[in-house]
Amino acid sequence: MKSILEEIRERIVFFDGGTGSLLQESGLKPGELPETWNIKHPEVIVKLHRDYLEAGADIIKTNTFGANGLKYNKDSEFDIEEIVAAAVKNAKQAVEEAVYPFPGRKGYIALDIGPTGKLLKPLGDLDFEDAYEMFSEVVRIGAGEGADLILIETMSDSYEAKAAVLAAKENSSLPVFVTTIFDSKGKLLTGGNVESTTALLEGLGVDALGINCGLGPVQMKDIFKSMIEAASVPVIVNPNAGLPRSEGGRTVYDIDADEFAAIMKEIGELGAGIIGGCCGTTPEHIRKVVSLCKDLPVSLPEDKNRTVISSYAQAVVIDKNPVIIGERINPTGKSKFKQALRDHNLEYILREGVAQQDNGAHVLDVNVGLPEIDEPSMMEEVVKELQSIIDLPLQIDTSNMDAMERAMRVYNGKPLINSVNGKQEVMEAVFPLVQKYGGVVVALALDEEGIPETADGRIKVAEKIYKKAAEYGIGRKDIIIDALCMTVSSDSKGALTTLEAVRRVRDDLGGKTILGVSNISFGLPQREIINATFFAMALQNGLNAAIINPNSEAMMRSYYSFRALADLDPQCSDYIAVYSGQVATLGQTVKAGGSGTGLSASGGGAGDDLTLGESVEKGLKERAHTAATQLLEIKEPLEIINEELIPALDKVGKGFEKGTVFLPQLLMSAEAAKSAFEVIKEKMAKSGTVEKKKGTIILATVKGDIHDIGKNIVKVLLENYSYDVIDLGKDVPPELIVETAVSKDVKLVGLSALMTTTVPSMEETIKQLRKTCPNTRVMVGGAVLTEEYARTIDADQYCRDAMASVNYAEAFFSQI
Amino acid sequence: MELINMDISRREIRRYLGYGRKEADESVSFLIEECVGELLKAASPKSFYREYPLRLLEENRIDFTVFQTKSKNLTKNLKDCEMSILFAATLGTEVDVLLHRYTKLQMSKAVVMQAAATAMIEEYCDEINTAIKKEYEEHDLYLRPRFSPGYGDFPLECQKDITAALETGKRVGIHLTDSLLMTPSKSVTAVMGISKKPYRCEVKGCEACGKKDCAYRRN
Repeated sequence: MKSILEEIRERIVFFDGGTGSLLQESGLKPGELPETWNIKHPEVIVKLHRDYLEAGADIIKTNTFGANGLKYNKDSEFDIEEIVAAAVKNAKQAVEEAVYPFPGRKGYIALDIGPTGKLLKPLGDLDFEDAYEMFSEVVRIGAGEGADLILIETMSDSYEAKAAVLAAKENSSLPVFVTTIFDSKGKLLTGGNVESTTALLEGLGVDALGINCGLGPVQMKDIFKSMIEAASVPVIVNPNAGLPRSEGGRTVYDIDADEFAAIMKEIGELGAGIIGGCCGTTPEHIRKVVSLCKDLPVSLPEDKNRTVISSYAQAVVIDKNPVIIGERINPTGKSKFKQALRDHNLEYILREGVAQQDNGAHVLDVNVGLPEIDEPSMMEEVVKELQSIIDLPLQIDTSNMDAMERAMRVYNGKPLINSVNGKQEVMEAVFPLVQKYGGVVVALALDEEGIPETADGRIKVAEKIYKKAAEYGIGRKDIIIDALCMTVSSDSKGALTTLEAVRRVRDDLGGKTILGVSNISFGLPQREIINATFFAMALQNGLNAAIINPNSEAMMRSYYSFRALADLDPQCSDYIAVYSGQVATLGQTVKAGGSGTGLSASGGGAGDDLTLGESVEKGLKERAHTAATQLLEIKEPLEIINEELIPALDKVGKGFEKGTVFLPQLLMSAEAAKSAFEVIKEKMAKSGTVEKKKGTIILATVKGDIHDIGKNIVKVLLENYSYDVIDLGKDVPPELIVETAVSKDVKLVGLSALMTTTVPSMEETIKQLRKTCPNTRVMVGGAVLTEEYARTIDADQYCRDAMASVNYAEAFFSQI
Repeated sequence: MELINMDISRREIRRYLGYGRKEADESVSFLIEECVGELLKAASPKSFYREYPLRLLEENRIDFTVFQTKSKNLTKNLKDCEMSILFAATLGTEVDVLLHRYTKLQMSKAVVMQAAATAMIEEYCDEINTAIKKEYEEHDLYLRPRFSPGYGDFPLECQKDITAALETGKRVGIHLTDSLLMTPSKSVTAVMGISKKPYRCEVKGCEACGKKDCAYRRN
């Protein structure tokens, strides 16, 4: 028998249809788990599979859509092993017994894997690796029982789909098909679109991808069209029987089996290689689809040869229209950045990211290499944090292979990888990762011999890299050559060599190029002048992507003007949109976290004559920063804190308690004070003074609770009142809180819980704290808590709002 | 169902921020407008509902066909009803990304965003509910105000039954955490009774609740 992968190259292949509604007709009750029928009513399941095979389906899906360790475990009637094994057995029996309409054919069994029913972190509470483990379990059992392929279906979250594909690939050698569920606008529920999903899945090396559920064939047609334009592997279309509506508690669909089949034929003619049905479709639907489509010629998508990367939300194509890669998340030569890494100050890094996005970056380079930190875990953490707040694709920039792999694994998309080069050893380390996780890799045109001096030499290295990559199945489209930007002050021909190499990669090799542009001006004064001009020259020579500082106005001017002049900006509309209202002078660097759309809010530049105290009271962040800087010239840091900042904060705090100041204002004041503190701390650090903290406080949102806004408000205020806050985050197990209190000898713990369902874990945390650290006090807060409720769970203090926790901390630490 | 007009009440936003009926100063008003603007861009509101036969049993037990529960408040709310609608709505995950973003970077904006998003999901539910109501009234059937698990003595546990019956995971993207929190966070599930008798007293969510000393109470 041919393998399913051979089969799909020769003809259109048919999936079966829906299961749920048919089982309901056979007596499945509301709330009853359909997978249990594999064991309780195997005859019904076998018959259902047979009906589909006899209607002409080539692939049947095992009845395992909801089978996972969350639903089937030691506490349930059947465990996951029994369910999945029985499901594959039923499918096998059907395959053996079926009377096939086309002689010589035999059905294939797809191990069906649906979503876990949970949303992954950080949006939900399921960890990526836990999801991976749950999928792995099903794959191991199903593959062991003899499934022919794995179908991962109805995925509405690209991240969960990635966990499932990794599980399928790492635990079996079966072909992997993936279908996702889009809404009528072509979006996944977690925000991805057809292009970004296709990039991610093809990067992971799936054998076929497509669309199922959610929509009927009519609505799916347009989404299918955009998928076939993006995809290089066969495309699957498994729609619902139409759009559903409820009639007297029963679901009915807006089209019938004949219409369904007619539209599926159109979709088949447009190039779908694998078609079938989802909810509401029956053997009748499939029979009609098969009879209309069985003789359609198969037209598999050709390789689109697009160089494309993606984030969870969008794809970025690297081609003629140049791509800006923000270079600022990198500690090289930045003492503040290095300090942020040492202090584990992720907020600093996130701000760098947001500022670059606001200033026009399309991709963010992420480099967190510093000898004294644990780079792999920092890299993983930073990637997770960045992708939770920014929708741009990331460029993973490291020479530490462990850091590279960990980042690629947790990345929700198809990343850029920085970098590989022509050295055998490096290629052998990097290419297997690209092969496994997907990605476009930056390839430096150098090797064991060093950096070739001529463009010829660099082209040769590029060719060598392409060749080696091909051995790993990595195409030219997923390699982007770094033609190497050499310092022009040490070699006056250096720039010309680089430009020639860029041009020839495009013209001679048909490849894509990238440059770290800023290197060109090293050692020269006013570097931006050289950088901006060289950047324009490189673009004219065909540069596809540039690693630059997007906060540099000079660089962005080159970028926008080049695009306008090179017919890449129709009607100069981007250029006009950016510059029609702008009066900035050349050379200006836009301040990080400054005036962009993301972090604007009140206060920029206003109130130039206000004192520091007044600026804090009014919540004017930038004015507070300036006022503190000015004050530092005439006053000591401690004087400023005690005479200006603390009184202002107290005044706002009192106003809040009286009800004349409201929460947003309280926080704006806190943020203004924080920006003043930053300047003051810098000054103190320079003069060697250590900032004295009043005490250390642990803050945590308890286990099971993922709403942490209240806790974060408290944190902002406590930090302003000179407390060292250890923020353990949300969904924190009691054990970690106790362990931290013990190891750091912390005397005050603040806990928050939002729901009645999570107060028990607050109670448990307090119980454990009492046992292990009897001298530690606990303050609690959260929507459902009251004074009385707090007492019943044995808390020391109930805090009705953020100021109450500050007051309690002040009172508590003044006693000890 | 699509977004209808989404006129988010600034007064509701201020109420969630603790302003009561007071006006906000200029800078906070500016922040509110900024948040509403960003939310309208980020949100992808989705909703789904189904109708089920309803039976009111003894001892305040209620049978929604796909699940049963016990609640005195809800029994009162569903008086004279023979059918019920199970309803779910959400603003989508991108709103949570926004909330997360500002929680990391600018808490003052995060709290305003939080309040604005709450006002937005309520407004969205109101608009959808009004549309459903109209549809039913054409058939001389009348909808009761929506009632959500966790209101009064309507057990939060029922969240599980409603999300399962409506298959909210794949239809609108609402999932439950182990502690029955909904993700995305700006989501609503509710039941609404359908009756042949018109309903006079238009008490909505907040006022219908018995917790009279709540800081966020509308009146």
